[in-house]
Amino acid sequence: MPRVKISEFRSKNILCSAFGLPYTGVHIDATTDWQKQIAGLSKTKRYVVKVDQGVKGRFKKGLVFLDRKHSQLKADILALSKKGYRFVLIEEFKHHTPDSESYLSIERTRAGNMVMFSTSGGINVESNAAAMKSSLMKPSSAPSVEQALGLKADSMSKLTAAFEDNYMAFLEINPLVVTDGVPQFLDAAIEVDSEAGPFVKEAWTVSDFRDPAIKTPEELVVEELASTSQASFRLKVANPNGSVFLLLSGGGASIVVADEVYNQGYGRELGNYGEYSGNPDEAETYLYTMQVISLMLKSKSSQKVLIIAGGVANFTDIRVTLQGVVRALATSKAALRRQHIKVFVRRAGPFDVEGLANLRAFLDREKLLGYVAGSELVLSEIVPKAVASLKAGE
Amino acid sequence: MQSIDIAKLRKLDPHIVCIGSHRGIIQSILDFDHMAGKARPSIVAIVATGRKRERYFFGPGEVSLPVYTTIHDIPDADTLKLNLFLNLSSGRRVLKSSLEAMENLPALIGGVIFAEGLPERHAIELYAESKKHNIWIIGGASVGLIIPGVFKLGAIGGVQAGQLEQSKLFTPGSVAVVSTSGGMVNEFIRAVATTGHALSFSLAIGGERYPMLTPEEAFLAAERDKATTAIAYFGELGGTDEYILADLLSSGRVTKPVVAYIAGAVAEVFDTPPQFGHAKAMAATVDESARAKMRALSTAGAHTAEKFGQFIKLMRDLPDKTDEVRPKTSAAGLDRRRPALIASSISADRNGNMTVLGEDLLELAENNSFAHIVVSMFLGYETKSVELEKFVDFVLRLLVDHGPYVSGSVNTIIAARAGKDLVSSLASGLLTIGPRFGGAINGAAAIWLEGVAGEHTPASLVEELAAKRKYILGIGHKMYRVDLPDPRVAKLLEFTAKLKVKKYTDFAKGVEALTVRKKGNLILNVDGAIACVLLDLLSEKEGFTTDQLQTLVDTEFFNAFFVLARSVGFMAHYFDQVRLDEGIFRLTAAQVADLSNQA
Repeated sequence: MPRVKISEFRSKNILCSAFGLPYTGVHIDATTDWQKQIAGLSKTKRYVVKVDQGVKGRFKKGLVFLDRKHSQLKADILALSKKGYRFVLIEEFKHHTPDSESYLSIERTRAGNMVMFSTSGGINVESNAAAMKSSLMKPSSAPSVEQALGLKADSMSKLTAAFEDNYMAFLEINPLVVTDGVPQFLDAAIEVDSEAGPFVKEAWTVSDFRDPAIKTPEELVVEELASTSQASFRLKVANPNGSVFLLLSGGGASIVVADEVYNQGYGRELGNYGEYSGNPDEAETYLYTMQVISLMLKSKSSQKVLIIAGGVANFTDIRVTLQGVVRALATSKAALRRQHIKVFVRRAGPFDVEGLANLRAFLDREKLLGYVAGSELVLSEIVPKAVASLKAGE
Repeated sequence: MQSIDIAKLRKLDPHIVCIGSHRGIIQSILDFDHMAGKARPSIVAIVATGRKRERYFFGPGEVSLPVYTTIHDIPDADTLKLNLFLNLSSGRRVLKSSLEAMENLPALIGGVIFAEGLPERHAIELYAESKKHNIWIIGGASVGLIIPGVFKLGAIGGVQAGQLEQSKLFTPGSVAVVSTSGGMVNEFIRAVATTGHALSFSLAIGGERYPMLTPEEAFLAAERDKATTAIAYFGELGGTDEYILADLLSSGRVTKPVVAYIAGAVAEVFDTPPQFGHAKAMAATVDESARAKMRALSTAGAHTAEKFGQFIKLMRDLPDKTDEVRPKTSAAGLDRRRPALIASSISADRNGNMTVLGEDLLELAENNSFAHIVVSMFLGYETKSVELEKFVDFVLRLLVDHGPYVSGSVNTIIAARAGKDLVSSLASGLLTIGPRFGGAINGAAAIWLEGVAGEHTPASLVEELAAKRKYILGIGHKMYRVDLPDPRVAKLLEFTAKLKVKKYTDFAKGVEALTVRKKGNLILNVDGAIACVLLDLLSEKEGFTTDQLQTLVDTEFFNAFFVLARSVGFMAHYFDQVRLDEGIFRLTAAQVADLSNQA
């Protein structure tokens, strides 16, 4: 999960402190006792209320309220919370003219930090593509950016230092309003490199990460599992009522198998995408499998298959990981049988002969067997077999 | 970054340093080496914390690989030979440890980074440094590089000996496999083997956003390599590398046939596409989608397939089928190997012959002095120096006994008088040896070593120890004084007469010159003299480095001669007591001061 968005609240804190400016925004977590936070705000000021959860196009989605009175804040937060959002940002509302809105972004690339800027910023920045300028960030190119945007000299060096020190991958300020050379960050989005946590001295932490997706309990369990393991785990629900569920291994192989489901015309029937890799132990594989089974059993589709597949592993122990899979399947074997679920397997790697034999014996005994193959079957070819069984049942 | 030259690598005698340890991967490299018919493992050193050595199988037998805490601890002779690194440490440690490898290994030409999760900023910085050092780096998140029959740098190709055989990794072939994914690189390697071909080389780019060796560079390496006649490529959605590859093909910079598969069409199913398995695998724009990239490659002349199954058929149709070259040794039975319970480099029973340090015991006994055998066995190899042998012989004789008054002798005598047997009485005396009795030789060696290695002057060391209120072990005597010298010390120091440097002895004498000015009996004593002469002989005649000498100090090597020699004295006292039969030893009340009523 290398590039992740952090909250607007944290982003603005980082930017303001880079310029020695105060930041007075208030960060609300709708699941806590936030009313006290509102009570502490001035009754006479005007406010902006917006969802702070990494959602794109908030204006167009109606997730930003402008020029609000203190008495309106509570209702605004409740309205956003009712839509399923948890994190809200409240800031003082400041008047500015739309033509003062500029745009500034920095992105890390292999060649260096790429700066893009425009004096025609705001929500319609994309329709003004001609006004957008870009250049690689160098000390020598800073003055031209500063002059174009009306920023004081050394502003870009402050911004670059904040970018580097915080291991940012992407920084976007839009709109940027500059008054007397001093920047105002009306909106700011930062993507950080999530792997850099040990190097940023808690300038940002995992608690600042924002993901617009609303997650299932199963996805949350896998997230937790991934954060506490040396191995890698991912799980994403596609169609909760799908008929094809995937238990895949390997970053690349998992996409090949998911692709084949799509190629077979069952893309919309895909219940989930996910993968595990990096030699997880038996218990971790068990926990992960339990989440996939849970999603599958909840699906209302009348016909379901589970595809367990992966490439020829380099170092993941197939015997150990499949043991975890068998243990998880065993806990729900009756429910799986009741729903007529069949399991299709293609996997290879260290100790695959033993691992596959154990899994086949279990599936056969429990009447869950669809097909079990090792490297003699082309990786993707397990999918047509699973799909054929779905078609036969229709 | 140095562009990677596969033809040149094929002629390389690989000397690999592993940064971090990973049992399965290291074992698989040793299995590969043995099956390829190499006489020694390609891995020369492991840099990791924990133990000093790790034991691995090399074929059916076992070898022990040295483990060093830092790259600086690797002996110079090995440092000069290391030409490849395999970085197995965690993502956050990769930058620092790889920089250290580049800065300290003069023969280094390239390396692989295995860890996933190298911060982007570190990857870009490391890439820039690798260019400066003229070194190629593959990764991060790469399972490595393999050249059939030559070397295996990483998990690539599998970790089970049987896998290596099935994938024909000992057959020099003509298909280059390049993949962003570690799992799929192995899937492709297997497909190359099962379609009647063999690999010319294979490498995993790694799924990170900024791989240090790009697909473009891998393609150009395949184009330059005469043995390669076709390229098989696996890519994923996300990133724009495939447009650069398409450009290589359409501009004619790569002329060899390419078969390619780009995974990730399924992303179209998701409203907000998930982060697929790899960091890079997220299509931000339409251009980064699997389909668009596949189309671009196809237009440029690559053979692509919409479905993976069709793709495998394309591989089957590649030219240049290769006859398999069997590995020099078979993988059969290797999965059933069990490690030995203990390892020994001192002695062994070889076909009924007892050997010590590799030499037939009887021959060793007939042709060598006891002192030579003692010092050789203590050091774990046959020493060369006659001076060392003669000195040890003298020390062993000199230290046999120092009267019945000293603690160890008294304890032996008491145990003997209590009716205990030989070994119990001897053990009772030996167990007395420690910081205050008999242990001063090692303590003195520690001080002389610290003085010389820490670039102290005798004055600064004396001052430092005095400030800490510590005794200088090896200095001081009850009876002898500067004007009444200890004749034994004079004899011991004679052994340095022909040494060129004798820096430890000079240092010890420098300390003595200062201490005798404070008090006449603070002279270099027997313990201190043995310590400094041994240090000088080991350093000058046997080539011990400071670190090696420190290890000897840490393991109490310098006391071993005392323990051995004084055992003679303790046993003598035991026999003597049995003959005298004095009865049990007991103190009277008058011989114990009663302090029990003192508050």
